[in-house]
Amino acid sequence: MKENSLWKDAFRRLTMDKWALGSLIIVLIYSSVALLAAMGIIAGDWAKEVGASNMAPNGDHWLGTDIFGRDVLSKVLRGTQIAMSVGLVTSLIAIPIGVVLGALAGYFGGWVDDLITWLYTTFSSIPNIMLLISITMILGKGIFAVYIALGATSWVTLCRLIRGEVMKHKEREYVQAAGAIGGGHFRKLFLHILPNVTHIVIINTSLQFQFAIKSEVILSYLGLGVQGEPSWGTMIDDAKLELSRGVWWQLAGATTAMFLVVLAFNLLGDALRDSLDPKLKGK
Amino acid sequence: MIKYIIRRLLYLIPVLLGVSFIIFVLFNLVSGDPTAVLLGKNASARQMAELREQLGLNKPLLDQYFDVVKSAFTFDFGYSWATKQEISHMILQGAYPSLCLSVPAFVIATILSLIISLVVSFYRGKGIDLFVRIMCIAGVSVSALAYILFFQYFFAYKLGWFEISGFEYGFPDFIPFVALPAIIFILLSLGPDVRFFRTVILDEIYQDYVRTARAKGLSEVVILLKHVLRNAMIPIITYVVIQIPSLILGALLLENFFSIPGLGGITLNALNSSDFPVIKAMAILSSVLYILLSLLTDVLYTFADPRVKLK
Amino acid sequence: MKSLVFVLSCLMLSFACSKEKTFDEREINLISPEKISGFDPINASDRYSGNETGKVYEGLFEFHPLKRPYELMPNLAESLPVVSSDGLTYIFKIRKGVLFHDSPAFKDGVGREMKASDIIYSIKRLADPKLNAKGWWLLDDRLVGLNEWRTKNSTTENTNYEEEIEGLKKIDEYTLQMRLKKPYPQFLYALAMPYTFIVAREAVEHFGKEFLNYPVGTGAFVLPKFEQSSMITYLRNTKFRDKFYPSEGEEGDDKLGLLADAGKKIPLIDKITVHVVVESQPKWLSFMKAKDDLLEVKDVNIQQTINSKKELKDEHKEKGIRLIMKPMLDVTYFAFNHEEPIFKNRKLRQAMNLAFDRATYNRLFHENTAFDAHGPVPPGLGGQTKEFKNPYIKYDLDQAKKLLAEAGYPGGKGLPTIVVQTRSDTISRQQIEFFEKCMEKIGINIDAGTNTWPELVNKVTKKQHQMYTMAWGADYPDAENFLGLLYCPNQAPGSNGANYCNPDFDAIYKQATIMQDSPERTTLYEKLNEMVALDAPWIFGFHRTDIYLAQAWLKNFKHMEFNHSQFQYLNVDLEVKKQLSKKF
Repeated sequence: MKENSLWKDAFRRLTMDKWALGSLIIVLIYSSVALLAAMGIIAGDWAKEVGASNMAPNGDHWLGTDIFGRDVLSKVLRGTQIAMSVGLVTSLIAIPIGVVLGALAGYFGGWVDDLITWLYTTFSSIPNIMLLISITMILGKGIFAVYIALGATSWVTLCRLIRGEVMKHKEREYVQAAGAIGGGHFRKLFLHILPNVTHIVIINTSLQFQFAIKSEVILSYLGLGVQGEPSWGTMIDDAKLELSRGVWWQLAGATTAMFLVVLAFNLLGDALRDSLDPKLKGK
Repeated sequence: MIKYIIRRLLYLIPVLLGVSFIIFVLFNLVSGDPTAVLLGKNASARQMAELREQLGLNKPLLDQYFDVVKSAFTFDFGYSWATKQEISHMILQGAYPSLCLSVPAFVIATILSLIISLVVSFYRGKGIDLFVRIMCIAGVSVSALAYILFFQYFFAYKLGWFEISGFEYGFPDFIPFVALPAIIFILLSLGPDVRFFRTVILDEIYQDYVRTARAKGLSEVVILLKHVLRNAMIPIITYVVIQIPSLILGALLLENFFSIPGLGGITLNALNSSDFPVIKAMAILSSVLYILLSLLTDVLYTFADPRVKLK
Repeated sequence: MKSLVFVLSCLMLSFACSKEKTFDEREINLISPEKISGFDPINASDRYSGNETGKVYEGLFEFHPLKRPYELMPNLAESLPVVSSDGLTYIFKIRKGVLFHDSPAFKDGVGREMKASDIIYSIKRLADPKLNAKGWWLLDDRLVGLNEWRTKNSTTENTNYEEEIEGLKKIDEYTLQMRLKKPYPQFLYALAMPYTFIVAREAVEHFGKEFLNYPVGTGAFVLPKFEQSSMITYLRNTKFRDKFYPSEGEEGDDKLGLLADAGKKIPLIDKITVHVVVESQPKWLSFMKAKDDLLEVKDVNIQQTINSKKELKDEHKEKGIRLIMKPMLDVTYFAFNHEEPIFKNRKLRQAMNLAFDRATYNRLFHENTAFDAHGPVPPGLGGQTKEFKNPYIKYDLDQAKKLLAEAGYPGGKGLPTIVVQTRSDTISRQQIEFFEKCMEKIGINIDAGTNTWPELVNKVTKKQHQMYTMAWGADYPDAENFLGLLYCPNQAPGSNGANYCNPDFDAIYKQATIMQDSPERTTLYEKLNEMVALDAPWIFGFHRTDIYLAQAWLKNFKHMEFNHSQFQYLNVDLEVKKQLSKKF
């Protein structure tokens, strides 16, 4: 099949790019750490007191201990689960909504466009922070509220981008041509236009992932973060109080963990784009 | 065109209705009774009841919703419940420091990113492309909080290059106060901006018309600046303009840590003291701004790319 | 990109350097950790808005800046009032020659003399139902006729300030009579609080709703217009009356140099600049750069301030920085909701008190500077004695487990998960996490509910909580202010958020609160304090310590719990500032 070879080809080129390959490996490692942590296989005992409070990094505890004498490394590993799930779930919420609504609005225009534009304009015109705070107020705090709040606020960007891009493609010759040979709306939209805007989705997803991971830090700063579980956000927020007394290891651990995965997602997004974009084929 | 603009402006009506509805539901219905917070730690039940009456919280819900809608269309926001200040005055006073920080930072970040992405597109696939891209991405992979804590300590305190915190009204007095937060703002914007701009520029570079232009013997620089950039403008404009409303509140963290008395702080305080009129005013103003800007985006489309028709 | 940043930095450097420091301005720089919303005395409910209001406005009385225990002295009143034998009628003599600040509100823009009618107006204004002041509780149901006046005016269109009230009578321009409904021993304290500071009717009416931005008081400093900014600048009131620095104080004050300015006319400085800084890091860094003269050290920075012997660290001593540490009049606690059936069980409450590891908590969150609370009343107030030791506040897991079993929940079995409502900031989150770990040790499961401040207040006033955390600071130096937190009629939405009801306690409390300060009353306070302490209505936390750092050149600063009036006495030594500033 044609489709198959496209993806195979893309994969082949992806593995040739060593930065992309490295990023892929990092993302895979994080994903498996997250999975293992979720199943309780690693860092299951993060809550245990293993030493004195705020111990500096040493041979037993590579990243030292936190204020309650818990191992910071375990907390970082456990935090991976929160970070990855926040990224994944918010993307799963945001992408389908954003793509479908954006494509319909951009393609059909008219009242469909008006309705969808009304919906996302209303949503996106209210400052994010207000929506985030009020949604967490309603749902009660915790990971579930973080998912919904971030998902509900981030489909808008994608929707807008897709709409703009579809508007542009609709006018292009190949779509006009498809129309001329009798392609239906559905066919034109999903078979001709959408594949040409996939790269927007892919770039957006990788951005979405890192945005969600970073937003979790801001939510934690505002006191709306995850409860009862260590997350990178709460660890960085703790650092606000600890840094001045020389306790840098929580910040360092969480920031490094976050840095690597965000970097990997970004590089991977670029590489995927380069290898998937139909226009870049053969280059 | 004019017709289109008018239609889009009329559009404000349904959107403001939607916004007032969401805000009303979230804050009037869900977040409960604000009187206890407003009266302080020694409030009595009787005083709370009196205040509820004064604030109009005993009126039928439909009337209360109508009040919200009314203020959305008249822009008469009245007085804050918590600070008792006139809201329009509060917002004007807060907008100045916020904009002093975010506008220059945003403009510099956008221009800088555009230059960088043009350069890396020119050298696409070469070492410098990879290096600059990775630096930009690395810059944005660190949490804003970590930047703030470190930069404030190192550049403002240790080296004394900038003011540690505070704000002074008037140009150029505000510059030493906003410089450091602005730099952090720029650092955090470069990554996503460069990535996005580079992507759309590369998209255009592989279009047929570029090949044609090259065949005509135009130099790569001319092609990049004249043809590619113009065609890449649509997504770039979209991307830039939709960020503008968030500029008002976007620098919340920076404002808090650098003691800049801007709108972010006002909004956060309002949320922390059940100050419903202020929340309402901020939401309505930002939605008006948003709609006007998205209209501007669509109009700019037609200038950037005549193939787009506004109907 | 780098070059651009460089050019930008250079540009900014040049601006930064153009503001070279001079040492000839008699100026003091202070920090307010909270945003100031306005200058209306009747709404100055928290410490920080009180501090700002107190620079411009004054009350009839003020706390002596040096004497401890706290002593009231006349301020706008000429002397302490004459009180009738039934303790209900007070005659106040008003000081002559007190001028309001110049303001366009007055004829020709010149401030006029303050008289008895201004005091009546200011108190009526606190009671004005249209304004619904935060400070109304202070005089609610106290003065004869005031509540009736309030009720009457709540339905009219305009509040009628002309109507005379029986409890508030002008005898002549400088004499005033107030009559109470029932004895109110804290009455004079009430007249020293920001809520009852004196305002001018012309200013209120001239500025209308903008009044809170144009403070027109009688105080030592003036602020022509308040802008919501991160900086407030007060200038010396050049027309301030002859008011002098006190010449006596607490023992040892002269050694500390606090009497060096004795007898001098105040204010001693020309300008006060208040910087609003919310986050702890910039506060600390600004002080360490000598941008500010006084720093209230909070939890986070205690470790950087003192060593393990609770002495100032050497690095600060070198710069001449002084450490001022004094116990605060406050109490922190985890309140049970006594309307929850499980918490009617005293043994359960006692067991939870015993399981709370106060020593570790104190070390982790207060660097050992706080003191265990044995009961609600903090040391320093009549009602608290050193001899009284609450047996339930020691850390004793065995005893806790035993009591828990006796309560009917051996090993925590049968108890539901208890949700503790708390605030959502970083420290509260860590503190509640610690509490969870403590209770886990005796088998009690705790869940944290984190809230924004309005959410928490709402849950408490609506009684929708099982437990919550709170800190209470004194409004005035009287144990009544703390014991009232457990008085049944004060239950939610009042200050008794625990909804604790104990008829025996209530009976004695009622009796004690209408007594004037006397050894008999103190005995009753002690009895009340010990009685509730043993009943464990809360999990008692701590009485915290106020820690201040002051630059060497800041003179006349003494720790003061009710500090809104102390700023007029401050002084600055410019010579010392000039010499020491090289070290920063």
